[in-house]
Amino acid sequence: MINSDIIRGNVDAIILKLLMEQDMYGYELANVIKNRTKDKFTIKEATLYSAVTRLEARELISSYIGEKTRGGKRRYYRITSFGKAYYAEIIKDWHLLNEIMVAILGSDIG
Amino acid sequence: MNKIKKFVTNLLKDYFSEQDKKELISIMTTSLEEKVEDLVEQGTPVDKAIEQSINEFGSTDDVLEAFPKKDIDYQQKIVKTRKHQFWYSILGYTLIVGLALFFNLTFIAVFRSVYWFIVVAIGMVFWPGTMFFRYREVKK
Repeated sequence: MINSDIIRGNVDAIILKLLMEQDMYGYELANVIKNRTKDKFTIKEATLYSAVTRLEARELISSYIGEKTRGGKRRYYRITSFGKAYYAEIIKDWHLLNEIMVAILGSDIG
Repeated sequence: MNKIKKFVTNLLKDYFSEQDKKELISIMTTSLEEKVEDLVEQGTPVDKAIEQSINEFGSTDDVLEAFPKKDIDYQQKIVKTRKHQFWYSILGYTLIVGLALFFNLTFIAVFRSVYWFIVVAIGMVFWPGTMFFRYREVKK
């Protein structure tokens, strides 16, 4: 299990990336993160839904009420064009951070 | 499902403006209800699904973790300051009007025949009134 301090600043990037792949509802996002990281990173739903609310307030994602496969309704989230642009910025920063860490930590992380 | 809304409302009670809180409560309640539905579809009894969802949800600290700390601290500080200012104005108002009432009813006979303290009481209402309005503005 990863130290949550390390990954805290990257929750936005994780959510945006997953929503670039497909629209998802809140609990689905939590499940995909859990499964894809093979339980190495389990985000608390309280943190995840708060981050989702914050991203929606910043218009990086938007929500709509969609149909469930077996009836009923769900609140789905989709990434906006602002969100895609913001994600591209995050990736640029990520590459820069990666270069910096490799330059400093060198073979220790290689 | 009321249990879920109650849980979420309680989790956020001391934080965020009224508008943000309403939005957060709505999103969190919906997401938790969706989780309960998923668990029920997978065969978990409703009561157990609600319990499990609430237990796994996280705490107020987990909610705050998703927001820049300085934003929350600043908002909390402003609300607290305005609240204190409002109560200070109530106290000040009570003292001033109390004094006016005391002078009105105690001293010189001519003072007693006219209830002039009412003018002071009405005139001073602007102070707590303004402070309450300022407090309500940041609480929204």
